[in-house]
This record gives sequence, structure tokens and C-alpha cells, in this order.
Amino acid sequence: MNKSVPVKQVRRDKPSYKGQSVGIWFVLPTVITLVTVVAYPLLYGFYISLFNTNLLNRWKFIGFSNYLDIFTDADFLGTLWVTSRFTAGAVTGHFVIGMILALLLNQEFKGRAIFRAILIVPWLFPEVVVALLWKWMYNPLYGLFNDILLRLGVINEATSWLGSTETALFAVILPVIWKGYPLVMLMILAGLQAIPREQYEVAEIDGASWLQSFRYVTLPSLRHVLMVTLILDTIWWFKHFGVIWILTQGGPIKATRVVSIDIYKTAFESFKFGPAAALAVVVFFIVLLISFIYRRLLSDDA
Amino acid sequence: MTRKTRKTLNMIALYAALIIASSFVIIPVLWMLSTSIKTMEEMFTIPLRWIPEFPTLESYKRIWTDYPFGRYILNSVIVVSGATVISLLMSSLAGYGASRFKFPGRAIFLTFLLVTQMFPSIMLLIPYFKLMKTLGLVDSYMGLTLAYISFTIPLCSWLMLGYFESIPKELDAAASIDGASRFRTFWQIVMPLALPGVAATAIYAFIVGWNEYIFALVLTTSENMKTVPIGIGELVGQYRIAWNDMMAISLVVSIPLTILFLFLQKYLVSSLTAGAVKQ
Repeated sequence: MNKSVPVKQVRRDKPSYKGQSVGIWFVLPTVITLVTVVAYPLLYGFYISLFNTNLLNRWKFIGFSNYLDIFTDADFLGTLWVTSRFTAGAVTGHFVIGMILALLLNQEFKGRAIFRAILIVPWLFPEVVVALLWKWMYNPLYGLFNDILLRLGVINEATSWLGSTETALFAVILPVIWKGYPLVMLMILAGLQAIPREQYEVAEIDGASWLQSFRYVTLPSLRHVLMVTLILDTIWWFKHFGVIWILTQGGPIKATRVVSIDIYKTAFESFKFGPAAALAVVVFFIVLLISFIYRRLLSDDA
Repeated sequence: MTRKTRKTLNMIALYAALIIASSFVIIPVLWMLSTSIKTMEEMFTIPLRWIPEFPTLESYKRIWTDYPFGRYILNSVIVVSGATVISLLMSSLAGYGASRFKFPGRAIFLTFLLVTQMFPSIMLLIPYFKLMKTLGLVDSYMGLTLAYISFTIPLCSWLMLGYFESIPKELDAAASIDGASRFRTFWQIVMPLALPGVAATAIYAFIVGWNEYIFALVLTTSENMKTVPIGIGELVGQYRIAWNDMMAISLVVSIPLTILFLFLQKYLVSSLTAGAVKQ
């Protein structure tokens, strides 16, 4: 990744910037656009978070009260706990499955391209389609999910997976694992293919078992890829909305109410825009914290 | 055990594992297909039937006549194409600029790009809702396009930056010796070489936009302006859910992009993973 140029190089006798500032003109349109459509709305969102407002005629400035409410409210902790479990479940699933499949696909065998193509498919389906498909499969009476589990003898009677507070979170995590593992698989696979073959040959000559060469050759070489993918995947699913919204709308009760759903409902169902905007700001800082850790870890191994 | 039998056993285990994994993908997709060619009655029969007794393509007709999916697809295509084109223009310039020049503020620019890419769109939702209302852009192509470029531009800029980095910088130097201006070097020398990267980036931007849900949920209210994901998502709320129609439309909106991607897979994947894999 880029290293910022030390300040002293700007001095005139070191012409490192000479002719370089023309670059500004190339990035300027993007900067102006992003300031307009991202930076300004973000600041405006922060502004809204300081008010008790319906965004129409009621604008009562209340300072940081909305934030105080968030942190003294047990509901927020509950939401955060659900979000964390959801994210942890999804990301763990992605990595376990993604890693196994990437290792398998990294072998040489006939039909590799076909298996790879099949295994990418869920990632290419829109979130809405994935959610609908699973909602249909989870149908308590006519759903494929119960049907298969009953036949295999895993369960004894048809279950409403999305309808019970005990199973709902698990039931929304499954489709999300299904949708998200291919990206992790592709990333790890790319990482595996960048490892020079000689390293394995050396390990083999040294008498390393498969497990040892995985532990001492594969994992260290994958560190960078795993780290990048881990953090991106975590952030991505931490703020996720679509699949859960279609499957359960955050219910039953609050079993699948993750922060994104909480913000959406607070704003567009309860019309409490101030508290919702404050929540969004808090989520932003959580995401920023995750990405900060990401950058730290990245620069460590650079 | 000889080396050869061990190898054969390994191969059998490998295929077995991959076949099991693939079946987790194939079974749901086949179930979609099977549901989409069933009649209402056959959809709700027990035991479940994989191959319908009375297969029908009625659902594939109905999605165009009984639902406004033609309109939804048109809306999605307009908004997503608009966002994709704008993002490509800007991100090509930005990617080139950031890969070729060490201008002051470059580091800040890159950090800014990285951070914007990570923003939860949920953060922009409330301010967008208010701003679009004030500007009268709710229920407009323009409003939705603006919302979509907020995430497609950062994504495209990263991908294009990665692509330009892979094009030798000596080319630029040669062109500038020949007296070409910076912009001409970019437009006439480097850009033509970057066209495959532009294509890959375009496909990603299109897929991400095509699948977007939450902005469209908040920024469109009229039936005429809904995008495909919103239109499909709404069917769930109806009293008697026509799963056959829903699975039909799901397949129709997923298959084209899936096939396109799988065809160009090798190429698209490398541009995505390039940033994460350090050589």
C-alpha cells in the first residue's frame, strides 16, 4: 500500500513533486463527486443526529442526548449482541467453507473449472433472490429444508425455522453463508496460487506431513489475503440488511434485529430520525475501528 | 498401501467432497427451477415433487403480464447503467492519476477512497432521504443514480487503480518524450490498454448496482420507479405467495449476469483479487 511521502521531500531542491501535481486534475472529478455524495451527506447525517426531528416541521436541538440514550439503553446492547453473533456466524462459515473448498480447488484434476464455476454461483445471485429462495425452502409445510431433514431423520417434525426465536438467527445465517463463501473461496484460492511450488517441494524434502506444510508453508503465505478478506467480510456483513429484512424483518421479537434493521425501523417505521441517525454514526465508528485494525495489521506485514 | 492407490483414494475423496459441496449449490437452484414450472396447486402438494406432473411455463408468461417486471427491469437498467458509466469515467481518470503521479494529498485521497468504500450505506440512508426530499429527487432516476455512485465510484476507483498499476509506466514516459500532453497520453496511449480492466470494472459495478436493495427501498415510493430487487422483495408481503412466479422472476434476473460472469470468470476474478494478493 502507499506510503505517504515524508514532508521534507517537498523542498524545492528535491523535485519529487515536479510535474506530479498534474495528478490532482485527474482525481479532482472523483473527489468533488465523493465529497458531494458521500462526505456532505455523512456530515448532514451527523447534524440530524443532534436533533429530535421528524425531518419536516419538528427540529429540536438536543445536543448529544440521542447518543446518551443509545449507550444507556439496554436495547442497543441487545442489538449489538445479535449483530455480533450474526457476523461471527457468517464470517466463520465463510472462512471454514471457503478455506476447505479453496484447498480442494487448488489441486490439479479433471473438471476443476466446472466445480469452480458451480461453486461461485451463489455469490452471483442478488441478495433478494437468495433471501426469497431460502424463505421458500424454509416454508414449514412445503419447504425443501424440512423435507430433506425429515427424510434424513435429523428432525422428527416440521419446524418453523424462521418463526421461532431460538432458531431464527441460525436460519438467517445459513443463507448468508451460502451467499458469501464463494468470495472468500476465490480470495484464498488466488492466494494459494501465488505461493511458489518450490516452497512445498522443500517442505516435502524435509519430510513435512501434509498438515505440517499447511501449517508452516500455506498459512504464513496466506496471512495477508486472509487478513484483508477477514476484515472486508466482517465489515460487509456487520452492516448487512437485505437478506435479514426479507427473511424476518428482524423478528421474531428481536431475535434477528441487527443494527441495520434497527436503524431502518427506528427511522422509517417509528419516524425517530434523530436517534436513528445517531445509531448510524455509532455504527460508523465501529466500522471505522474495524478498518483501523485492518490497516494496522496490513502495514505491519508490509 | 502403495503410492498409487493412495493417490487414487485421494482423488476419490476429492471428487466426493466437491460433489457434496456442489450439491448444496445445485439442489437449491434446481428447486427454484422446479418450483417455477409448477402450477399453483402442484406447488402446495405433499409429498414434495421434484418433477411436476403438469409442468408449465405459465409463470414465465405471468411475470410480464400480471406484474410490472418489465418496468422494474427498465428502471434498474437505466439507473444502474447510468451509475456504471459515470463511475467508469471518473474512476478511470482517478485510477490513472493516482497510479501515475505522486501529487500532494495522494495518500489522503487513497485513504478517503478506502474509508468511503467501507461506509455502511445505512449511514447515508437518513441524510439521503431528507436531501432527496428537499431536492425533489425521491422517485427519480437521477436521485437513485446519485445514491448508487456513492458506492460504485469508490469500488471502481480501487479496481481501476489496481489495473493501471499493472500497465508499465515506461509507456507514459515514452509518450511524454514524444511530446504528448498528460491527458493525451492517458486517453490515447494508456486507456486503450486498460479497456479490459474497464470492462471488468463495469461488470462489477453493474452487478453491485443491480443487486442493491436498501437505497432503492427508501428512495422509491411509486410503483413506476421501483427497481428489480424491490419489486421482487415486495412479492413476499402478499397474502398468498405465488412462489412459482417468484422463482421464475428470480431466475430471469439472476441468470444473465451469472452466465456472463462465469464466461469471463478467469479474467474477472483476477482483477478482484489483485489487490488482496501480494506477489
